[in-house]
Amino acid sequence: MIERLLEQARRRGAGTADALWRRSERTSVAFEFGRLKAAGVTEEAGVNLRVVSGGRVGVAGSTAVAAAPDELVSRALASAELGAELTLAFPSRTPLPHVPTFFAAAAGASLDALIELGAGLVAQLARDGCQVNVSVERELAETRVANSAGADSSYQSTGVVVSADLWRVAGDDVLVLGDAFEGADLPSAADVARIAQSVNTRLDLALKVTDPPEGALPVIFTPAGLTAVLLPLTQALSGKAVLQGISPLAAKVGEQMFDPAFSLTDDALAPGRASSRPVDDECVPSRATCLVQRGVVQGFIYDLETAARAGTMSTGHGQRAIFSKPVVGYTNLIIGDEGRGKGDGYSVGAWHAVPLQLGGGLLGDIADGLLVDDLIGVGQGNVSGGAFSHPVALAYRIRRGEIVGRVKDAAVAGNSYDLLQRIAGFGSDRRWYGARNTPSVLLEGVSVTRRAAP
Amino acid sequence: MKDRLTDALAASRADFTEIRLERTWTSAVSFRGRRLEAATASEDQGGFVRTLHRGCGWGVAAFTSLDQLPAMVARAGELSRAVRLERPIRLAEVPPHQADAVLDLDGDVRGVPLAEKKRLIEAYNSEMLAVSDRVVDTVASYHDAVTEYWYVNSEGTVLHELRPEVTVSGSAVARRDGIIEKGLESFGLRRGWRSVQDRAAGFRRAAERAVALLDAPRVKGGTYPVVLDPELAGVFIHEAFGHLSEADFIYENPQAREMMTLGRRFGKPLLNVGDNGAAAGLRGTLPFDDEGTPTQDTPLIRAGVLVGRLHSRETAAALGEHPTGNARATSFRYPPIVRMTNTYIANGRGSFADLIKDIPLGVYACSAFGGQTLLENFSFTAAYGHMIRDGQVAELVKDVVIAGNLFQTLDRIERIAGDFRWNEMGGGCGKGGQFPLPVTEGAPHVRIEEALVGGDVPDAA
Repeated sequence: MIERLLEQARRRGAGTADALWRRSERTSVAFEFGRLKAAGVTEEAGVNLRVVSGGRVGVAGSTAVAAAPDELVSRALASAELGAELTLAFPSRTPLPHVPTFFAAAAGASLDALIELGAGLVAQLARDGCQVNVSVERELAETRVANSAGADSSYQSTGVVVSADLWRVAGDDVLVLGDAFEGADLPSAADVARIAQSVNTRLDLALKVTDPPEGALPVIFTPAGLTAVLLPLTQALSGKAVLQGISPLAAKVGEQMFDPAFSLTDDALAPGRASSRPVDDECVPSRATCLVQRGVVQGFIYDLETAARAGTMSTGHGQRAIFSKPVVGYTNLIIGDEGRGKGDGYSVGAWHAVPLQLGGGLLGDIADGLLVDDLIGVGQGNVSGGAFSHPVALAYRIRRGEIVGRVKDAAVAGNSYDLLQRIAGFGSDRRWYGARNTPSVLLEGVSVTRRAAP
Repeated sequence: MKDRLTDALAASRADFTEIRLERTWTSAVSFRGRRLEAATASEDQGGFVRTLHRGCGWGVAAFTSLDQLPAMVARAGELSRAVRLERPIRLAEVPPHQADAVLDLDGDVRGVPLAEKKRLIEAYNSEMLAVSDRVVDTVASYHDAVTEYWYVNSEGTVLHELRPEVTVSGSAVARRDGIIEKGLESFGLRRGWRSVQDRAAGFRRAAERAVALLDAPRVKGGTYPVVLDPELAGVFIHEAFGHLSEADFIYENPQAREMMTLGRRFGKPLLNVGDNGAAAGLRGTLPFDDEGTPTQDTPLIRAGVLVGRLHSRETAAALGEHPTGNARATSFRYPPIVRMTNTYIANGRGSFADLIKDIPLGVYACSAFGGQTLLENFSFTAAYGHMIRDGQVAELVKDVVIAGNLFQTLDRIERIAGDFRWNEMGGGCGKGGQFPLPVTEGAPHVRIEEALVGGDVPDAA
């Protein structure tokens, strides 16, 4: 299929071209309110074709390509007629690194096995007055990516997501909390128990509502709660932001911008992760890309287009959906805590076997403060400057080293670039949260305000 | 096509079977600054089958290979049988409909060359760039789609529709020294090419606003009487209240059901709220939902009292209420779930001037950058605002963030003006992984007696 498209594009005048073909089959089971409700499959196949014709780039995509390959080529060429002028250098054939992306146990799991997996989690979460929703999804995918420079790679991959959320409505107080396992292979029994333990612990501690503190305080951001703090950085470390002139880190390569204990790496080769891959969606071999090392900015992530515009090389961060042009995107983001002498080590695939403590052992140092697990409105407003200000969705008050209850009607604010210059501590609770691997992080001087109803 | 669908239905051994087939042609053109980002045309096609065997759960199959339709019907049937249920799923009755509906294409976008679409959005982009040399960055996007849509079910419903949509949107970034401000404009309807002509003024206003905000002070945080413009009031009612009225939130949750008991007072007698999927030409408008139920105008709050909610056939049966035509899916990839369409606060009385004339000090919050709710708690960022002083609109202010508790805030709506209008923004709503679903909102100016306005955030490093 891909060869035919590339060949046809060449015959019809495209100087160079590349294409991605992906077929996926996803099986999902859903438990609503504690009972199995639905089972489904989704099968999808499509092609994304990019051509360079007359020095201009054009893109087209289709899920109906088998029926009309000519039409896809025509649309890509028409897109190129209007397209931006750009010298895109497609990578030639190079050996790829080895990373396991296909796990036979995940691929072979029967529908009944997936149902059993979900039912097991439901049983561990059941409690009076609460509603439990659980979903289990298993995806099998085949990806092939090739270009007119001779690169041609394909790989099979598996992905599994087991997620749970728990709802508790008491009067007008609504509490929602959840957790998920995401990986390339099936979760072990310990992994499933960890989801349940994570949800149950946070729920138990949330039952008591207490007054929020106020002032510039120590705040623990859990692996989930860190999103708001990290978002300005991940945005600023994208080559796209650098090109657009909106990255505050653009001219800071080699400079100490953060605490020397803070490192940030994007690792497309992290074992057992669903985002890992031997090659990106533009035929560029995968590797780990260090972005911040011991607080010093090292570089940015690029795809082919942003690299061409910036006069540099792609770092293998091209991501491509069927219907749009490739964009630059992260794979697995690893937050390092050099201060603990562990280097950049992070656990492989599975989580710790022992239950993780909420706060990762950082509570003990705090006389009065907050533990933030979820915020409202992350990503809204002017992220690039580093400032954030959000009401809490799920946060706990810490007094004298202990969690004393959940706080509502509080907001936290700060500036990521200021706060990350001095990190008061990393927790011992390193884990994967989505495609991010991090421990809890203790930051000092975070502004906490009450939003008591007027 | 109709025969293929009815043959596939006839082969199904399930007690209930429905099939949707979609073929969608889309094109998209976007500019960033003076540079064209992309101009693409795509084609997407696929099918969705959902079956129900007695005593079992839903079996669902979605696929892009249309020649697999008979196999997928069988597959969905097997999946349904694998889901054993103690309490069976029931579907509320909907009389079978046969309809061949072509929505107003208003200039079929499929007949317009990509180059012309590029010219249109390039012109709107230039309007923004021309406003001032302080406009340092812009994004301008054109997007259209036409979907040929088939729906059949084993109860005899057969629907064939052409569903259009078109959106133009722009954002302008203005900068002076270290200060960066943004202005947004977007326009989207379930119509075609003609409806996005002559929209340059809106793009210009977005850029002018971004520039004006450079010199505007931050709003001083505190409690004020707050007047929402129709756009923000619409977004507020969708986000903060609308999602709670989706019956899948409550139908199997006794505590949530209690919180949303019909007859509960939600506001003062002047407050009327509804959802109208049958209003003409709006983003959320369709003749039928994705279960073949006709859309309608559904009252949710009448005279301050909760009177209704939004349903699929399944949630309606579970609660002993009537389907409202709100079971929607973003595409053939997804099952229909309970969603809003065009959600509104109904008209009140009097003018905007009347609404603010007795406010000594207040905030006029306009347009929305974004909003998020966590059930009863919400937080909205207005695109811009003005202070209200001595009953008059006064200086422009920025960083207007309104946060609060839904129940308290609805109850503090004490005045509603008579200047209702529908929002015609592009964009859409996300829920359960399905995004963006075309929806819109409408409202008049709304006055909240007391609301918490935050604005002060620490300066960037």
